[in-house]
Amino acid sequence: MSNVDLLRMTIAELAPKIQSKEISPVELTEASLAEAARLQPTLNSFITILHERATDQARASEAEISRGQYRGPLHGIPIGLKDNLETAGITTTVGSKVLADHVPEHDAEVVVRCRNAGAIFIGKENLEEFAAGATSNNPHYGAVHNPWGLDHIPGGSSGGGGANVAAGITFASLGTDLGGSVRLPGTFCGVVGLKQTYGRVSQRGLMVTSFNGDHIGPMTRSVADSAIMLQVLAGNDPLDPSTVPVPVPDYTAYLGKSLKGLKMGVPTNHYFDLLDSEVESAVRGSIAAMEELGAELIEVSLPLMHYIGAMRISAMADGVVTHEAMLREHREDYGPDVFYRTVPGQFVLGKDYSKSLRVQRMIQEEYAQVMQQVDFLITPTAPVPAPRIDAEYINVNGEEFRVRGAGSGMVSRNTSPLNAMGLPAISVPCGVTKGGLPIGVQFITGPFEEGLLFQVAANYEMVSPSQGLRPAVAVGV
Amino acid sequence: MSIANETLKAMIRDYNGLELSDDELELVRPELESYFAELKKLEDLDLSAVFSARLTQFPD
Repeated sequence: MSNVDLLRMTIAELAPKIQSKEISPVELTEASLAEAARLQPTLNSFITILHERATDQARASEAEISRGQYRGPLHGIPIGLKDNLETAGITTTVGSKVLADHVPEHDAEVVVRCRNAGAIFIGKENLEEFAAGATSNNPHYGAVHNPWGLDHIPGGSSGGGGANVAAGITFASLGTDLGGSVRLPGTFCGVVGLKQTYGRVSQRGLMVTSFNGDHIGPMTRSVADSAIMLQVLAGNDPLDPSTVPVPVPDYTAYLGKSLKGLKMGVPTNHYFDLLDSEVESAVRGSIAAMEELGAELIEVSLPLMHYIGAMRISAMADGVVTHEAMLREHREDYGPDVFYRTVPGQFVLGKDYSKSLRVQRMIQEEYAQVMQQVDFLITPTAPVPAPRIDAEYINVNGEEFRVRGAGSGMVSRNTSPLNAMGLPAISVPCGVTKGGLPIGVQFITGPFEEGLLFQVAANYEMVSPSQGLRPAVAVGV
Repeated sequence: MSIANETLKAMIRDYNGLELSDDELELVRPELESYFAELKKLEDLDLSAVFSARLTQFPD
């Protein structure tokens, strides 16, 4: 099979061919590494490419499979890891100059799980400095470029992973999502981005983050691949108190189920209030498509979302405490966007932090009420398509919004609320703009209902206008 | 709401914060203004009865 054919496939398509030895993990990994080398000068999507380690892993996988020791659908599959996930013996920079020489002694729990499932690690992927922003315009390692429009951001903070999956380099990439950092690269790069329920996946080994609302999740080429990845990642971790010992169902069993009888909630406020017109048109089209597939539309109101910005207050305080020791020791090594966005957290008063947590609780209760009335919610993932890399501001409906640094946050206004709520959400491609930039639709379910989330997303994926579209930089396009 | 640079500097000094020059205080202003704007919104929200175990009910 040619590299072009190999690199177009999904994990679900590759897995049975690897198991039957029709496709070799070594051949697949070599194709993936060659594509990483070809596109790195264009996309700048990696901080470290693991040529030798990946090849060694692939040879070991091939030997195991030839002995009949097939581990499952990730065995022999090349994937990427965001460079804020600890990897034993491999530099893990968190996109920073401060940690440029940091070499962990141990793997993050998700890395262990993927390794045990037989995944091949192609490289450590570029990201926003300290994963603290939505652009992946890194001041130390360079900007990541969007495969669909090289002058545009891929979204962030897991931009390298989104770019790699979209461009056909990796078959999945693990990102982290504190405010949309998996789902935004998902929507901007035209791939599937999943943030599962808080507590579903261990965060142990995710570096320099907040204790409130971060999630490690996959970016993939299809909903089925997202289900395969979560199957590997999900489960209680006795050493991570944030995980919950809830049984992990067979996620792929949900993929063939229809939407008939399901109630689809469309929020009448917040999520559709501030939108680029092409994004709104694409997502309204998705809603109509879901009705045609059998979902019943029910309008829902979330009035307390008026106060969702209060989550910023606790995030500011968390941010400065997270960075305080490094800021004192390495202040000059911080880029200006992260520095001037982080330091103001020192002025947040304790009573305001507490108020923020109370608002979070009130809004969580409101979502809990709404989720009694519907099976899932549908919203735009991002209010705009990918901004240009050099943009300081974006204009929506005549109003200017900062894209990066102090005072930014508009790009993540539809994703970050779900981090505070802890609810599972997935972004699925739903078309492209006239300028050829991808648009994503976001589905949300109740806690620990990822099976239903995959069911809903897989139904939509089959009728999405994005089906079959690939960026021009991908091999064979 | 706005807070003068001198007040911010006093907070840094008294609470052992991270030193910022006047120019740098201007650069953190957008984030501070977001904080104050969100606080302003909360003025009309009653948080007094919000507890982690309050007895909410299923919708009608």
